[in-house]
Amino acid sequence: MDYEFPDGLKYATTHEWIRIENSIATVGITDYAQHQFGDIVFVELPEVGMVFEKGSNAAEIESVKAVGDLIMPLSGEIIGVNQNLADTPELVNSSPFVDGWMIKLAFSHASEIDELLSVDKYKQIIQNEEH
Amino acid sequence: MDFIPHNDKTIAEMLDIIGVKSLQELFQDIPKDLIIEKLNLPSGLSEPDLLKQFEKITQKNKVYSSSFLGGGCYNHYIPSLVDFVTSRSEFYTSYTPYQAEASQGYLQAIYEYQTIISRLTQMDVANASMYDGSTALAEAAIMSTIITRKDTIILFKGIHPEYEEVVKTYCWGQNINIVYASEDNLIEKLNGDVAALLFQSPNFFGDIEDISKFAKNIREIVPNCLIIQAMTDPTCLGILNPPGLTDIDIFVAEGQSFGLGLSFGGPGLGIFTAKQKYLRKMPGRLIGKTTEINGEKTGFILTLQAREQHIRREKASSNICTNQALCALATLTYLLALGKTGLKEVATQNIQKAHYVKKELSKIPGYEILNKKPTYNEFLVKCPNIDSLINLCKQKDLQPPLKISSYYPEMKDIALVCVTEMNSKNSIDTFLEIARIVSNNKTEGE
Repeated sequence: MDYEFPDGLKYATTHEWIRIENSIATVGITDYAQHQFGDIVFVELPEVGMVFEKGSNAAEIESVKAVGDLIMPLSGEIIGVNQNLADTPELVNSSPFVDGWMIKLAFSHASEIDELLSVDKYKQIIQNEEH
Repeated sequence: MDFIPHNDKTIAEMLDIIGVKSLQELFQDIPKDLIIEKLNLPSGLSEPDLLKQFEKITQKNKVYSSSFLGGGCYNHYIPSLVDFVTSRSEFYTSYTPYQAEASQGYLQAIYEYQTIISRLTQMDVANASMYDGSTALAEAAIMSTIITRKDTIILFKGIHPEYEEVVKTYCWGQNINIVYASEDNLIEKLNGDVAALLFQSPNFFGDIEDISKFAKNIREIVPNCLIIQAMTDPTCLGILNPPGLTDIDIFVAEGQSFGLGLSFGGPGLGIFTAKQKYLRKMPGRLIGKTTEINGEKTGFILTLQAREQHIRREKASSNICTNQALCALATLTYLLALGKTGLKEVATQNIQKAHYVKKELSKIPGYEILNKKPTYNEFLVKCPNIDSLINLCKQKDLQPPLKISSYYPEMKDIALVCVTEMNSKNSIDTFLEIARIVSNNKTEGE
């Protein structure tokens, strides 16, 4: 299967992508992840202002056949959520890296970025999972 | 689909295909010393003898001609229509449909049940039902902790003690803290950890609570605290304000009063309703109506299944996995048979008859009505001698009222009297006569 793996992003083993711009991180799920989920019907996003630690569940993603979590790739405070997903959750399927973004956070520990994966490392993980 | 049993020929054929010589061989993994050679069963009975045997057993039941017992289970009339509909084999014998959408008839019935409950309670959403009133309340408590991400619930005084036990058990399993409160100390018990306030109205002692009084105070202190109401006899909705027009977030009730009969305490029906915003956190099944993709026919489906535990698995808020669909069907039929005017008539008779008994009892020396708030069909009365009252009732073929000290030992000589549309004037007069006798005996004895 041919999945999208855009450059310029960081990745997590739990299939989140992260775009770092100054002190803000935008997070969503990867093309591989949306494909595993199937048609996404509902995304329960956190409230702006909530603070989460790296590794905790920030959002819940529901498809017709499964429920999964958006795991925080970095610790920080939620400063924005994608309101469009309330009416059009399918954006996660059609545009996982752009229109289907889920949360924006102000990260508190910059050192945690080093623990994220490069696009090549993530590609490697996917290729291993597929075999 | 027909039921086609095996015969020796087909069994032999199947054994042959899988390469096994006898049925016994299929059990060879069971240690020889654990295999039962002979079951110690009596020999079979002919049909007439079997029927006699059952008759003997049922004669052990004492069924009183009239009842003054309430306390969670209520004696209401069940229209013949209910049995007629539920005993259709398509409904009566079918188990929970796994290929749910194949059972359009059942799904339609449950959809109509959900609709009628939603209209009656004026709550936005009703699910396909839970097991009974007590577990519905427990599930509502858990639901509130998931919605608010808090871990404490408040049990307001007056909830049926057995409902409290069930809620406690469910909360223990989920590490939810329980705090008890009454009108006097409610405000001081509220804090930021509270997910919900649970109360019952009309409550176990018969009082009709006006929670809107508290709701404002509660929400000022804990803005997102849920308010959950339980109800044990929903026939009162024929006359009382529906919960949907109040500040209640989740409303649950025991559906037994709606066409289910007493049957020594079950099966029950867990009526479960909530405001629209909590839809995705509701446990249980939800039937939805939809249309074909390539056509115009409407059909019924199980919708929003991502809430349920077979998809959500360890993230599920509930482990409910079977259903009371037949009971829900009985309730639907009951409500349809009565209609709006019928239910109003039932509720009116309940409240009028109970108030008549209340009034007459308070005229008899030694009796004191303890309720300070309005009541529906149950009330608390202090008696001169409750044991004597109970014995005399039984002698006169009346099911006696509840002796409250069986739940609250400190409340001695107090009865919870329940009067429904099923209590005839005769039975009421007999009961009042018994009350007078007990009063006279006490006076004479002094």
